[in-house]
Amino acid sequence: MLEIRNLHASVEGKEILRGVNLSIGDGEVHVLMGPNGSGKSTLSHVLVGNPKYTVTEGTVQFNGKDLLALSPEDRSHEGIFMSFQAPVEIPGVSMTNFMRAAVNAKRKYFQQEPVGASDFLKLLREKRQLVGLDAHFMSRGVNEGFSGGERKRNEIFQMAVLEPCFSILDETDSGLDVDALRIVAEGFNKLRTERTSAMVITHYQRMLDYLKPDFVHVLVNGRIVKSGDASLGYAIEERGFDWIKEEIKD
Amino acid sequence: MAGEKQYLQLYEEHRSLLEQHSCAPMNRHRAAAAGWLREKGLPTQRNEQYKYTDADAAFAPDYGLNLRRVLPEKSPYEAFRCHVPNLSTLVFYMVNDVVCAPLPTQRMPGGVRVLSLCDMAKKKPAFIDEYLHRLAAKADDGVTVLNTLLAQDGWVIHITKGVHLETPIQIVSIQEGHTDLMSNRRVLVVAEEGSDATVLFCHHTAGACRYLSTEVMEAYVHPQARLRLYGVEETGAGSHHFCQTYAEVMQGGRLETGNIHLHGELVRHTSHIRLAEPGAEAEMLAAVVAGDGEHVDHNVLVEHAAEQCTSDMLHKYVLTGKSISAFAGKVLVCPGAQHTLSQQTNANLCASSEARAYSQPMLEIYADDVKCNHGSTTGKLDESALFYMRQRGIAEAEARLLLQHAFVNDVLQRIELAPLRERLAHLVELRFRGELGKCRGCTLCR
Ligand SMILES: Nc1ncnc2c1ncn2[C@@H]1O[C@H](COP(=O)(O)OP(=O)(O)OP(=O)(O)O)[C@@H](O)[C@H]1O
Ligand SMILES: [Mg+2]
Repeated sequence: MLEIRNLHASVEGKEILRGVNLSIGDGEVHVLMGPNGSGKSTLSHVLVGNPKYTVTEGTVQFNGKDLLALSPEDRSHEGIFMSFQAPVEIPGVSMTNFMRAAVNAKRKYFQQEPVGASDFLKLLREKRQLVGLDAHFMSRGVNEGFSGGERKRNEIFQMAVLEPCFSILDETDSGLDVDALRIVAEGFNKLRTERTSAMVITHYQRMLDYLKPDFVHVLVNGRIVKSGDASLGYAIEERGFDWIKEEIKD
Repeated sequence: MAGEKQYLQLYEEHRSLLEQHSCAPMNRHRAAAAGWLREKGLPTQRNEQYKYTDADAAFAPDYGLNLRRVLPEKSPYEAFRCHVPNLSTLVFYMVNDVVCAPLPTQRMPGGVRVLSLCDMAKKKPAFIDEYLHRLAAKADDGVTVLNTLLAQDGWVIHITKGVHLETPIQIVSIQEGHTDLMSNRRVLVVAEEGSDATVLFCHHTAGACRYLSTEVMEAYVHPQARLRLYGVEETGAGSHHFCQTYAEVMQGGRLETGNIHLHGELVRHTSHIRLAEPGAEAEMLAAVVAGDGEHVDHNVLVEHAAEQCTSDMLHKYVLTGKSISAFAGKVLVCPGAQHTLSQQTNANLCASSEARAYSQPMLEIYADDVKCNHGSTTGKLDESALFYMRQRGIAEAEARLLLQHAFVNDVLQRIELAPLRERLAHLVELRFRGELGKCRGCTLCR
């Protein structure tokens, strides 16, 4: 699915990613952990092509394509989705219009006709129910006045509508209350198939419990310094990051 | 500069023809207007009210005046036929400054009159004497005075006491000619006590000539009446348009104005809205989409002359390409105007680096128990919102368009009449998509 090799990236002249290597296969869920400021969100933004970040070295192959050569829109159409750590408000653009624009843009990319009105409403209803998002959110502006938790739920709703093959969840769990987290995680699990993969960024064990990831990686100072299975995540929950930092020194 | 000279000369040379084609209540004020102009001249940018718009330059070219009152060969009702989906209006046309007779099939509801000023002066001279030029006479504004000097005709819209007009009146003005042309129009709107009406003014140009038009509107909103005046500007390159609005709102009356700018090379709105008696209300909206090479200027004065009046101004401008917008809004709270409630907001979105937005919100308060808010913001497109949308697959151009549309849309959402609101929102969307101007007629037809 995704093959990251020696990825270096900087923001405003400051190097944040300093040689990331990561390979994610079809159907796999990888959890990315790491101290605050280590570059997890930066890696996510670089993968979805945020123009604020500059790739200075390295390659990313996505389903055999050179990902870094694609525009953000085309990356989305090719199946990459990111649940933002801090989803932005877009006042005045209703959720319905926003989702219609997104769905139709993708259909256009694959030379399909725009979605019919009733099919579209049905799609929205079905996916809303999956993540427990009330109907009234659809007529509100995108994230406009949404609470922190509602925004996160809305991210997974959008993911459900767009059906990406590779999803990046950047701390989608933080801000959600216990019940909401369960609903969102269960929703996410329902969307999983052998052909969909994910990179999930989290600081909490609860997410590991729900997602049962295949791999856990630790990012420190712009590099993946340790990888393992879910048990690595639990070890971090228990012991923090210092022991890993010590290990790299040796 | 002395741009007024050529107009004064024109007036002196053609005075008899001008007066012959007009009517006594309009002719009565010409001599005084000439005197005023000779003394004070047309406004220049040294004039505080016109510092953002070079009126002098706009009036400098030698425009012809349609002195012979020539009408186009083809009736505009045919040439500009309107098929208005979801919006039926009582439609009237004016070509340049000549009022076109309405279609014989046009049925007017009882208690509503839409007539040419000259016709009304014949039928109801007392009515014209009572209202015409009462508010405009007080204006110390060279453009208004020039209009008084040269205007030959225009409209009277009269809603009699207690009449609720459900269908909006639509006045379509078309500038058309084979040479560069100037038109001066006069509009009088009277909403009598307890009446309720909506009037939509659509401004268009046809052909490749340069046009200059001035319009002086006087609006009288009597006690408990409700009047909504909307203007849609869809004039072309080479069109310079000056709209002067003078309104008076009496006890418990409410005036709503809305300017929707879709296209127009230079558009200047001067408004003076006087809340004359307790409980009067005014809402002034503007949604502007200024395109490359366009200049849009609003100069609005709201005068709270009595207590317990409310005014609410919301002006939002999107500027693209090399465009300029100016907003100068002043809320004047007169002595004794206690319990004034006023809100004034101007927000500008510069969607290009070459666009310029000038904003000057002002408050002048001479009463102590008042609640007045004003604010002004000017910003660029939100890059993080743009990226969020692109991540969801929405092309950058489309994302920009959605953001710009959303920016002005909350102004349009204030329009109460649903069919009109939806129609105008649709027009604005067409404007953003560059799909306006495909037919010469009024866009409300499409
Ligand atoms: N736009 C930016 N301008 C300047 N510095 C930035 C910018 N974006 C990120 N950084 C810096 O890059 C570093 C990595 O930030 P990043 O957001 O990737 O961390 P993170 O691992 O996601 O942290 P957290 O766990 O707190 O979310 C930080 O030091 C941050 O301050
Ligand atoms: Mg982060």
